Amino acid sequence: MKKRFYTRRQFLHNTTAAAIGGALYLNLPVKANIQSGQKSRVILIRDADVLDSANKLNKNVLTGMVDQAVCALTDQTGIQSAWNQIIFPQDIVGIKTNSWTDLDTPQELESHLRMRVLECGVKENNVSINDRGLLSDKVFLNATALINTRPMRTHDWSGVGTLIKNYIMFVDKPWEYHDDSCADLASIWKLPLVRNKTRLNILVMLTPLFHGVGPHHYNAKYTWQYKGILAGFDPVAVDATGVRIIQAKRKEYFQEERPINPPPKHIFLADTRHHLGTADPNKIELIKIGWSEGIFI
Amino acid sequence: MFIIICLILNMVIMTSGQNPAEIKWSSILPDSISGWQKSEDKEFNGENLYAHIDGGAELYLSYGFRSLYNRTFTCPDQPDLIVEIFDMGSASNAFGVFAHTRESIDSTFGQGSQYIAGSLLFWKDHYFISLLGSPETDSSRQVLFKIARQIDDTIKHEGTLPEILTLLPSDGLIQSIVRYFHHYIWLNTYYYIADQNILHIDQNCEAMLAQYKQSEGGAALLLVIKYPAEEKAIKAERSFVDSYLPEAGKTKTIQVEDKSWVSYNRQQTILSIVFNSKSKSIANYLQIEVERKIKSTLILK
Repeated sequence: MKKRFYTRRQFLHNTTAAAIGGALYLNLPVKANIQSGQKSRVILIRDADVLDSANKLNKNVLTGMVDQAVCALTDQTGIQSAWNQIIFPQDIVGIKTNSWTDLDTPQELESHLRMRVLECGVKENNVSINDRGLLSDKVFLNATALINTRPMRTHDWSGVGTLIKNYIMFVDKPWEYHDDSCADLASIWKLPLVRNKTRLNILVMLTPLFHGVGPHHYNAKYTWQYKGILAGFDPVAVDATGVRIIQAKRKEYFQEERPINPPPKHIFLADTRHHLGTADPNKIELIKIGWSEGIFI
Repeated sequence: MFIIICLILNMVIMTSGQNPAEIKWSSILPDSISGWQKSEDKEFNGENLYAHIDGGAELYLSYGFRSLYNRTFTCPDQPDLIVEIFDMGSASNAFGVFAHTRESIDSTFGQGSQYIAGSLLFWKDHYFISLLGSPETDSSRQVLFKIARQIDDTIKHEGTLPEILTLLPSDGLIQSIVRYFHHYIWLNTYYYIADQNILHIDQNCEAMLAQYKQSEGGAALLLVIKYPAEEKAIKAERSFVDSYLPEAGKTKTIQVEDKSWVSYNRQQTILSIVFNSKSKSIANYLQIEVERKIKSTLILK
């Protein structure tokens, strides 16, 4: 089958693909087109006190942000009732984290998620936190529910490390998904181990990496204290929102348009080819909570 | 005498650049330096680079990566120093992977270097070298530079820059951010063009992206691709016109939706395209200059 292509010029027209590509690839301002139908809700919550000047994490502030985000996502006022909308006592829950050395999921966040899962009545041996070893983790192999969390960062080959990409550890040969700048990562979400199991996605935006150099890619110079998290049920919507923040930071830093390189094609195709969720800003209900300075979107 | 001749020959082979794989970095780099001690050496090839550079191996593979030598130095209360020497197979590829993220012109080390907060990158001959000590300290930076100097001095031969770079018009060129590549993924480095390989760029092509200042603001983008055969260049030109400039007829300079100008031109195996030009005259100027340079060099011979 001949692959459909999208050029810059196509994105300059007023189409749905243009809205997605314009936001993901061209860093164009979001056009307020009226959309019908249900939108994907994304919570952006930030707190100036979640990190100190040395990037030391304030656990209480972070865990409070997570709970607030879950409440906002579920339209609940009580923390327990909010979590009860997501996790059930009989669930077997895999918390998919990310252990990339230089920018990993904070342990404080992992332990908080585990605690909330247990408070929902899940048995202690039915919850596990894992990244690279999940294919030999009985909880993940038998999971009925997944919570997906990782920090956002730029990436040499996929453009950005995303929630969508975080599930690459569910396959035993990750490199088989590297073709065409990891274009079809969203197909992993259709595998039996994963399909329809994700209850919550949390993209950590405390100190995102907006640019990378060298073989190890990470350099603290290219991180900044955004002090936020993004949460949602739709991983594509959350990732697409995160990309807009990264793009805006790059524009501010480089003082010119400097697209993510390579473009985050896997997010675009997660929407347009795999229909995992929406990357169209017009179909995303973005709820902003807390600190607004330097919010970018 | 025979032993001396063998030793001399060995030295020549080790450092001449003619037999790059023969440089024995493990015996050339120090075991200890200014308090840092060697902890381990590793070597990687195209088969196992994935295991070392998590998720980033493809960048190097797209530039013809051959092998990687890695040595880590440790020192109490100091950052580890990670020394990595990539054999990229050719000077063009070593330059290409170095220039991939270059932001400024600096030749403190090798044939071009860049130091950013604990990370030193440079290239020389067919080698791309990365030295990392993060978070940096005054001591780690000094030692990093000492090791870099030793590596630089060991590589005696300087490589030749890709010939296609000679086609760049100099007026208005932002020299520090010229990119060179053979994989279509890097086509969108500065400016999103397309998500598929509409220009048929592959490992047998040489592609170059450059930006030119414009008084009207923004930068015009010049893309030049050299194909291995004219028929491939013709096919790529047709694909580009079909995909990107279907309205092009006799005129090869077209104003597009955002009011910028796009132009293309082909000289035998070389296709040049200008994007985001704020005026028709800039687009035409860049094309004329590239054509003039093609004719004044031996690149098509």
